[in-house]
Amino acid sequence: MGDVKLEHVSKHYDDVTAVDDMNLEINDGEFICLVGPSGCGKSTTMEMIAGLTIPSEGKVFIGDREVTNLPPKDRGVAMVFQNIALFPHMDVYDNISFGLRLRNYDKEEIDRRVERASEIVQLGGMLERMPDEMSGGQRQRVAIARAIVRNPDVFLMDEPLANLDAKLRVHMRTELQRLHKELDTTIVYVTHDQAEAMTMSDRIAVIDSGQLQQIDPPLVCYNEPANLFVAGFIGSPSMNFLDGEITENGFVSTNIDVEFDPANVGVEVGRDVTMGIRPEDVYLVQNERQVANPTHRIEATTDVLEPMGDEIFVYLKLAEEAHADLEEASVAANDQLLMSVSPDSDIEEDRDVEVVLDRTRVHLFDTETGIALSHGIESTIQASGPADAEAESDD
Amino acid sequence: MSSETSGVGVGADDAEMKRGPLGRWVDKAIKNPDRVYRAMFYVATVFFLVTTLFPFYWLLVLALTPNRLITNMGLLPKGFQPEVFITMFERVPFHLFMFNSFVLGISTTVIVLLIASLAGYVFGRLRFPGKSILMLGILAISYFPPAAFLIPLFELFTGNTALSIGAVTISSPDLFNTPAPMVLPFSALFLPLSIFILTTFYGQIPDGLEDAARVEGTTRLGALFRVIVPLSAPGVATAGVLTFIAVYNEFFFSFLMNNGEASSWAPIVAGILKYQGQFDTPFNLMAAASIVGVLPVAVLVIIAQERIVSGLTAGALKE
Repeated sequence: MGDVKLEHVSKHYDDVTAVDDMNLEINDGEFICLVGPSGCGKSTTMEMIAGLTIPSEGKVFIGDREVTNLPPKDRGVAMVFQNIALFPHMDVYDNISFGLRLRNYDKEEIDRRVERASEIVQLGGMLERMPDEMSGGQRQRVAIARAIVRNPDVFLMDEPLANLDAKLRVHMRTELQRLHKELDTTIVYVTHDQAEAMTMSDRIAVIDSGQLQQIDPPLVCYNEPANLFVAGFIGSPSMNFLDGEITENGFVSTNIDVEFDPANVGVEVGRDVTMGIRPEDVYLVQNERQVANPTHRIEATTDVLEPMGDEIFVYLKLAEEAHADLEEASVAANDQLLMSVSPDSDIEEDRDVEVVLDRTRVHLFDTETGIALSHGIESTIQASGPADAEAESDD
Repeated sequence: MSSETSGVGVGADDAEMKRGPLGRWVDKAIKNPDRVYRAMFYVATVFFLVTTLFPFYWLLVLALTPNRLITNMGLLPKGFQPEVFITMFERVPFHLFMFNSFVLGISTTVIVLLIASLAGYVFGRLRFPGKSILMLGILAISYFPPAAFLIPLFELFTGNTALSIGAVTISSPDLFNTPAPMVLPFSALFLPLSIFILTTFYGQIPDGLEDAARVEGTTRLGALFRVIVPLSAPGVATAGVLTFIAVYNEFFFSFLMNNGEASSWAPIVAGILKYQGQFDTPFNLMAAASIVGVLPVAVLVIIAQERIVSGLTAGALKE
């Protein structure tokens, strides 16, 4: 019933392409987040599902019907808007029952449904209030009640929490998840906040410049990002990226070398690659035992510390490694590395430290295209021994 | 006292000079400029009240004075004859002329509001090429002198125009002495102003509200009349009142597109002129009729003003 399918959907405005050949399949009952930076086309995608925007090319299906050119009212969708969009001249009851009254439901049925919807979103006793007499969270709940009262096949939510304060947002996040469990209806949720997307959804569709980058469950997007954009967008703080090159000994850059046998990883020698490593996969040498398969030690100086309470973010300045074989000093921004350590770590600013990386969590991307080449380079355990020794003698 | 002797008054505020009442007033006004603004406000208000209300007073003076005494009128009535307000209905069925005026005014207002709402929606909320040129064109219509249209429209509405398509000749219907030849030009002439007002109002309604209405189950038209129009109530009221008053006051087409009989949909213009006989001109009756004719509009303005001022606060929206 509530599955949504976009087939080669594009939207062009004059000379701007908002959405470019989008293919998306959303299953019935799924909670899916469209996530991306502002202006990436996620809202346009949602508007095309809702019918508020007609695609320039491609087809939209809801259930087994093609709805590409149907007006919004005939699509069986309900929508919650970023600006809440309650009708200011109607009280809560009239707002919630607006769609039902348009469809000529009888009075008792409307009463019953409004009653039930307002119970679900905990709005009992507020049905006579006007929108301007309510707080932001209450208005948002009215908007949600207005959406659920019609039992739509698909819910569309366009950044519904963006205008709420931080505390209320977290609260409404759990309420929405509870609501999804209760109603078991397809929810398409647009957000620019990757944390929201990670916590709520069954699958995340990461969109950038109008193109779908990856659609996968949150942890897959986190652990196996399909490309550089997804790797950088999902996760906070962002993944570390280091530009370098593949040699027979593995990854080589101006500041960090990681030894492995390129053949085992399936990357050809001489290719320009970007290595990605998340802050939590960088370890201090004294914690090396926590890592099953560490790289060799990397020298660095601590720069700035950001204690967050449950962890400390450490900005490391990397020492430059001398490389005869690396012709161009590729990128200057290579000398920084962000590490997260537990709050009880003995660490201070401006100290020389040594760190190791978790080999299983090292990502390699093609620098030019951004496409992921490998997630983890563990397959070189045997070869790493002598290579390590070589590298150390180089230093 | 020293300042008086030295002749320098300004700045020596501790000095008590011998001044007239105006001098004292000026002195206080310099210390407290609010007094000046208040005084200016009163002067301006009184000026406007006198210029707008004096004609009504003058009408009342004329109405109450018996007709034979209306010569060399002063500021006071030369007699007291309140029966004139009854006589005026006996002499001419003035209530019928007023009814005609109302029908013309209301039907024009309804037509104008309907069409101007559609146009206002298009100009205020949609983007399309040539929008500003089209808007300018519509506004230009309102600058046309109605006299420029009179002869062709008169020919058209009296059935003297025919259109030939091949062998078929269609003659325009004879609409003289019906409301149509008045309502149609009124609507055309007063539309631009209403379109302009409604465009501004409809353009200010956030897109989210219209989108919400459409997702909830209205068409674009439904969203216009269920959400956008109610939220633009002050604008719609303004456009409606202005149109109604303009039609009610209109003289040109009202006078020329009928034979001046109440049964021919002639409005109050004809009613007032009807008092004039071949041998006498009862100024008192005409003045009384004018006062009665003005009353409904005065009441309407007072009511609508409340509505326009109160408006609707769009508080449910976070932008």
